[in-house]
Amino acid sequence: MILGHFGVGKTSLIRRFVENSFSDKYQVTIGVHISKKVVEVGPEESVSLIIWDLEGTDEVQMIRQAYLLGTHGVVFVFDISRPSTFQDLNRDLRIVADKMPETPLVVVGNKKDLAIEDELQILLDDNDIKADYLTSAKTGDDVNEMFTHLAMLLNGHS
Amino acid sequence: MATLKQYREQYISRNVQFVVIDLDGRVLESDRVFLAINPGDFIYDVHPFFASYASILETKEGSVTYNGVHLGVAGQNFITDVGMINKGNHILLVINDLTEHYTSLQKIAQARNESIINSELVVLKNLELEERERFKNTFIRNFSHELRNPLTSIVSITNLLEKSQLDREQSQMVDFLKESNAHLKLLLEDIMSISMIASGKLILRHKVFNLISLLELIAFTYGSKTKGTPIRFDLDYDRRIPEYIEGDRIRIFQILTNLLDNALKFTEEGSIALKVSLNQKRANKVSLRFEVSDTGIGIPLEKTKAIFESFTQLEEEGKKEGAGLGLSIVKGLLGLMGSEVYVRSELGKGSSFYFDVTLTYALDLASKPLKKNKKELLDLRKPKSNKKYRVLLVEDDERTQMVLFKTLMDTDMFYIDLVNDGALVLETVINNPYDVILMDVDLPNVPGDQITRLIRDFPFKDIKKIPIIGVTANVFEEDMDAYLKMGMNAVVTKPFDFNELLEAIVKSLR
Repeated sequence: MILGHFGVGKTSLIRRFVENSFSDKYQVTIGVHISKKVVEVGPEESVSLIIWDLEGTDEVQMIRQAYLLGTHGVVFVFDISRPSTFQDLNRDLRIVADKMPETPLVVVGNKKDLAIEDELQILLDDNDIKADYLTSAKTGDDVNEMFTHLAMLLNGHS
Repeated sequence: MATLKQYREQYISRNVQFVVIDLDGRVLESDRVFLAINPGDFIYDVHPFFASYASILETKEGSVTYNGVHLGVAGQNFITDVGMINKGNHILLVINDLTEHYTSLQKIAQARNESIINSELVVLKNLELEERERFKNTFIRNFSHELRNPLTSIVSITNLLEKSQLDREQSQMVDFLKESNAHLKLLLEDIMSISMIASGKLILRHKVFNLISLLELIAFTYGSKTKGTPIRFDLDYDRRIPEYIEGDRIRIFQILTNLLDNALKFTEEGSIALKVSLNQKRANKVSLRFEVSDTGIGIPLEKTKAIFESFTQLEEEGKKEGAGLGLSIVKGLLGLMGSEVYVRSELGKGSSFYFDVTLTYALDLASKPLKKNKKELLDLRKPKSNKKYRVLLVEDDERTQMVLFKTLMDTDMFYIDLVNDGALVLETVINNPYDVILMDVDLPNVPGDQITRLIRDFPFKDIKKIPIIGVTANVFEEDMDAYLKMGMNAVVTKPFDFNELLEAIVKSLR
């Protein structure tokens, strides 16, 4: 399950991961797109990820409950270039954790190509944000790593 | 007429597909209205979404609806609501094709989200620009400030060098050095003005002043600047303009001299002119038009905007002296006054810069005759006795010397001595009793503010207490504060307003 505010690049991350492609054009997701990719997590060991790309919301609280059924892992994405998507990140993460306790959660700051590394770290520190991954769907930076990490978490989890 | 049942067939059934699967996900039945799902298929192979059927078995309610599910099956894409209902030994899937509905929603959401994101980005961009601008201006301001001290040393040493034994070639080099120093000093002042304006640190100081004498001072200055050149300077002002107006005299002077210097720079021969006309008077407000025109090279139409941007000239080939800051200062200062400068120009014929400003004028002062006798003005301030005062004028700039000499002599109140070198001041003061010292700041060898400090620290009371009035072209607030701290009684800024200067002198004599 990929969650986060609208326009943070959830669909782009999945597209980069599943199809290895990217488009600069923003296309709003309505409802949910589901795609699938098999990830090697070890020698002769793979995990089939069924990825639910949820429409972005203004408020995490508003996510339709039905979508959360049967979720094994959550990726929460914010956009490092738009403060409105991470200003309340810690609160958002608490809501997600409340809705899906004991579900592995990976926090991702996307669009890192838009920032200078040093400034980015300052930005994250200033906002008290701990991101597991800083990715760029545009360059592909750390996208595979992030999803593979999630797959491994799920593998250990199940 | 069709029956309701037929209508239902026609309008609903076409969009709703029923699929029955067993608990392992195998399709038992499908009415195949729009999705290619066939009995015998495993539902999770049809589309990864359907793998979620398993979670229905975990719910208490036994049913769940997924909204807005994108299903691409056999090359066809639909946006659907999917209901999953646990029927005990099988599961019923009700798939409702709402592609049209969701597509229209998508368009609305697209427009909404885009506009929110765009406005967010605009705000961020502006913040970033402002931040950068602020940083740039602070940096430039501090940096040029720092540059002034070494420059003062260079100027002093150049002056010393000039007085030493030099052969012709060396003395030419010193002349060149002096010229470069003067240019550099001007540049620094301009850069500081620009950064002060841009960072909002420059605050206009409105005071009542004599506009006519300011114009005459300008006429005197540019008259002597153009003397002996093929350029004539003309001043023309409407006799109905008020003599006394309220405004920032220094800044108005700066605007006009920047425009005039610019005109001089680009005019080889012919004339430059300053014209002041009256737009209108209403209550105690007067709108004036100032126009500076020249018979110079002119400006191509497409460049008339760019010339007001900082450092424009640096990009030009065959540039003239100066970084092109003058006009940008004019634009900035007029911006502070709520006005704007316009330009009309014809290549090869000349240019004309003009602006309108609305200023306040005091009604009681305005009723005075246009030309007022200086003596009359003086009498208002002059102490009762007919005693003459001894003034030491410390000034190295010949033009300023001339102006001050003339104006002070005219009053018939003063004896004047002149010193043009900072190093000679103390000696002169020790040997002669003065009632007041007019002290330039930028002096050869020892700057005026430091001489002031030396005098104030002097062990003899009669010397230590001599009133000192600073006269300076440094018009920044922080400079003035620094001079007062060094012990000056008052500071008068160039260009002098005769009354202001006289008032400062008279005040210090009491």
